Amino acid sequence: MAWFTDRHFFLLAVAFYGLSTVYSVFLWRMGFRRDDHANYFLLLIAFALHTAAMVKRGFSVAHCPVNNLYEATTFVAWTIVAAYLVIGLLPRLRFLGAFASPVLLAIGVFALMPALDPPHGLQPEFSGALVSLHAATILLAYGAFGLGAVAAAMFLMQQHDLKFHKLRAVLSMFPPIQRLESVAVWLVFAGFILLTVGLAAGRHLPRPAGTPYWTDPKVVWSICLWFVYLTLLVLRRLRMPSSRGLAISFIAAFVILLLTFWGTNLLSPLHHP
Amino acid sequence: MNVVVIGLSHHSSPVELRERFAFAAAEIPDALKSLRDSGVACEAVILSTCNRVEIYAATPLELAKAIAELREFLLRWAGTGTEPLASSQRAGSTGGGAHQIAGEEFYAFVEPHSLRHLFKVACGLDSMVLGETEIFGQLKTAYGLAFKHGHTGARLNKAFQRAFHTAKHIRTHTNIQRGSVSVASVTVELAEKIFNSLGDREVLVIGAGDTSEKTARALLSRGAKNIVVTNRSFDRAQALAGELGGCAVPFDDWAAKFEKIDIVISSTSAPHHILNRAKLEPLMKARRQRPLLLIDIAVPRDIDPEVNFLENVYLYNVDDLQGIANDYLKLRREEIARCEVMIAEKVKSLLVVESSADFVDEGKFRFSHLRKSAQSGG
Repeated sequence: MAWFTDRHFFLLAVAFYGLSTVYSVFLWRMGFRRDDHANYFLLLIAFALHTAAMVKRGFSVAHCPVNNLYEATTFVAWTIVAAYLVIGLLPRLRFLGAFASPVLLAIGVFALMPALDPPHGLQPEFSGALVSLHAATILLAYGAFGLGAVAAAMFLMQQHDLKFHKLRAVLSMFPPIQRLESVAVWLVFAGFILLTVGLAAGRHLPRPAGTPYWTDPKVVWSICLWFVYLTLLVLRRLRMPSSRGLAISFIAAFVILLLTFWGTNLLSPLHHP
Repeated sequence: MNVVVIGLSHHSSPVELRERFAFAAAEIPDALKSLRDSGVACEAVILSTCNRVEIYAATPLELAKAIAELREFLLRWAGTGTEPLASSQRAGSTGGGAHQIAGEEFYAFVEPHSLRHLFKVACGLDSMVLGETEIFGQLKTAYGLAFKHGHTGARLNKAFQRAFHTAKHIRTHTNIQRGSVSVASVTVELAEKIFNSLGDREVLVIGAGDTSEKTARALLSRGAKNIVVTNRSFDRAQALAGELGGCAVPFDDWAAKFEKIDIVISSTSAPHHILNRAKLEPLMKARRQRPLLLIDIAVPRDIDPEVNFLENVYLYNVDDLQGIANDYLKLRREEIARCEVMIAEKVKSLLVVESSADFVDEGKFRFSHLRKSAQSGG
């Protein structure tokens, strides 16, 4: 079984994300009228395989597997599915899975690109508990932002159906839109706290001599992201944007996060020495 | 002993006739006693609702005789005596609305169809509003009353218990009771799709119409916190508010109360819109853009459709609500075949079919047979 690497486990997990996506299309076509047990189960299997892949990688490199883009990306996907499995214990929020699985599939396929996973050296130069904490909290934050965006997408669909008197609005087993909005806001708030902790922890990490922290492109990008989410949360507190505007902003912020995550990593001397 | 059912329902007779055969709850124990004393039934249950009057009986008699006597019993009870069917009318029934009993208004079933009918009634498949659950409670009450007074025995106990069990099974495993089929219940369902809970919602009723009242009551029954009623006639507003346990406000002042309102039910007879975009926009700002459900059941409409384009405003008019109710009904109809298969299986498992089938064609008793045999002196 030595030939069966952590990437194989992850490949299988991505296959299950794919199956879940296909099933989600079926659920959508059926108007989200069936309870989402099957999708929850598919994502649970995917999560088990995904966790196995991360544990195997963690043991092989002897630290938290967050040291290259493949590992970071899979960690983000793992946090999304882990958070979903907890939230999905509430039956009406289980349908978040139908919206999360396409995102997980896309992230998974992206992570599988070989260029993202160059062979590791013997041991990264800078490692330790604080590095793991920094990386894990920031990636957990991205996961929370991701699931917040998923809840926002679900909100938009339900709101559209209610506005335009679609029968699906009452037939579906979706939760009320007020609850969806609250879930999205709480997830983004949790992500914001984690991002704050992660950024603060990063400040105290050992780094190569002469490499500044606050001007590193990845750090600047993360601080911009931090401000974006802070602004959205403050505006929400002031009830400035409409619920719809807020939901669109959550989705847009996460899409921008995904699209720029790779590029800023490559530009960063701290994260891509 | 065979279980038979005889009765009349909204399918077979108009309300003018059904009301003449209705049993008051207090009369039922005596009626059951007299039915058993007459020897026509060893066990009996009388179901009397606004949509049906039925006698379920376990009879030792030959089936044609049992059904004829049960029918006579019903006619006697309704005060129509035993005159020829076409001319019998209740004493005191007057006016053009008095309905002639032609005999076709009654239906009767013997086993296994009597049991199948009982199961269908319990499941709401025979109800005016397909799949409604009220009949289940009414059937339970009717059975409970007969049981309490010792008018049921092994056969009917088993049949009714199995009918209740089947109704619960069908409710759980099919969509026959899914969704709302009235304007009031659709409104409640919409509110539950918008708001976290109805427990802290305030409802404004504009115009004290009948449908508004029903809708407000439905929202109250699901926990709505408060009802505010306004009407051009303040007295009517006060009367309705009193009935609903809410408060009344003068018609010109309702906008002042709007800040706390989450659901509006409007049904005035105003010839123009009483709420439009220009009026609602500042009110929404005052409400800090909280979601607002507007139910416009007035014709002509009270609320300008343009307001639906405002953020967090959800406007439904009477056609929208009726459309949803009709779609639900369509879904329920699609479930009938499934339910009937389930019922047939349950009846089969309950019953060892007795040799009664040779008397009646397919279990449905035809009164025309009785009349023909009476005419021929049989």
